[in-house]
Amino acid sequence: MKSMLGVLARIPLFQLYRRFGWPRMLPINITLSPSPRCNSRCLTCNIWMKRENELTLDEWDKVLRSLGKAPYWFTVSGGEPFMYQGVVELCQMAYQYCRPGIINIPTNSILSTIPDKVRRIAESCPESRLIINLSLDGIGEKHDRIRGVPGNFKKFEERLKQLLELRDGLPNLTLGIHSVVSTFSVGHLDEIMEYADQSGVDQFITEIAEPRVELDTVGLPITPDKKSYTKAINKLIDHVNNRPYKGISKVTEAFRIQYYKLVKRILDEEKQVIPCYAGWASSHIYADGTVWPCCVRADQLGNLRDHNYDFGAIWFGEKIKEVRRSIAAKECHCPLANASYTNLLHDLPTLARVGTKVLLPVLGGRPTAPKAPAKEPEAAHV
Amino acid sequence: MPFDWLNDFHRGMEKADNYADKTLAAYKLGIKARGAICGVSVCVPANCCGAAKQLPEGVVYQPDEAPRLPLAGCPLGRRCPCVYRPVMTYAEVQE
Repeated sequence: MKSMLGVLARIPLFQLYRRFGWPRMLPINITLSPSPRCNSRCLTCNIWMKRENELTLDEWDKVLRSLGKAPYWFTVSGGEPFMYQGVVELCQMAYQYCRPGIINIPTNSILSTIPDKVRRIAESCPESRLIINLSLDGIGEKHDRIRGVPGNFKKFEERLKQLLELRDGLPNLTLGIHSVVSTFSVGHLDEIMEYADQSGVDQFITEIAEPRVELDTVGLPITPDKKSYTKAINKLIDHVNNRPYKGISKVTEAFRIQYYKLVKRILDEEKQVIPCYAGWASSHIYADGTVWPCCVRADQLGNLRDHNYDFGAIWFGEKIKEVRRSIAAKECHCPLANASYTNLLHDLPTLARVGTKVLLPVLGGRPTAPKAPAKEPEAAHV
Repeated sequence: MPFDWLNDFHRGMEKADNYADKTLAAYKLGIKARGAICGVSVCVPANCCGAAKQLPEGVVYQPDEAPRLPLAGCPLGRRCPCVYRPVMTYAEVQE
């Protein structure tokens, strides 16, 4: 697998880049949204209504070639990524040109073709960790109601079983359950947590439902109030703290706790609590070739079709300068998970806290003994 | 509401030439496909033009009947701060 050490080595360079504009760096974390089409009808998302003049695979080929070996972490997003006919080829191209350490794909689990596509991606990208996160916003009918698709939970369970079987033969496949904590689900997060615990997946991750320009949810009442979120997420933090993680899982779970705490602070303080590196270390390429710093603001930095599919021409261009100024001036704040994990990686106090948490028991400090028996999870990835 | 800054930020964004066509087409599809969207409203800020100030408050339009933004004669053109917002069935119930 592509080394995480290479990412760590770039941290001071990105810090310099953000502060002084030098050295010029391409992002390490890139989200690709090849299509907004989706067969879910979630209460928390309106992207499925959009139709775009989508980049073709030939166009994606040129874009990914232009990124070179810079990206460590790709998220292939949507809509529903597996509805995009070329999703396997897209991942193969990303692998061919960029050799990312991680390819992360969320899915709603509806299509029966998902396991075969996952197998093909995992087999053809052997040096990348492929993370498939199955969305789960409730158990049974609660899930179906929030996702707007009757029978979705049944399909989730079918796909989960198929993918767990598949994982046994694919050493680079990690399975997760991903839950959006919204006004509709915050009251039953503990049920989802309990389900995830018994499910056999490698990781359980949550993200707060926040408004995004990308999803056309600006102004909608989907974000839980601070009190409800804090109550729910504290249980999750306790839960993670009381599990006996080992190796790399210990590090990723320590980061996850830092992320959950960061979200609480952002909700409380309503400001950019730690410096945001969207526009420097992370970016998003939308279906029509538009480059954004992130999907929350979705500033149109330029369209790749107008720049000969050269990502660097936009990333090092003039238009991004004002957006970077705005982000650095803390004119925005949000808990977007994808960007937040990159931001946490660049925040020295966070790194110190994670280091302390991981090393303290090793150095003879207070051990994090489990309060309840728990299955040893496999290596999980953020 | 959390993240209110995004409301102002979004209103300040320059609109694409096809903003009205594209947004209203998406909402029309959303209603046809029986999503949780039931209509569209026009969010009019304090610094809008005279024509926008004349729009009736609190109206939920069907996409085909919504006023086209930017409104004709808006002096701010593509910098018009009025925006469409989807009206969701759950938001109506909460109100």
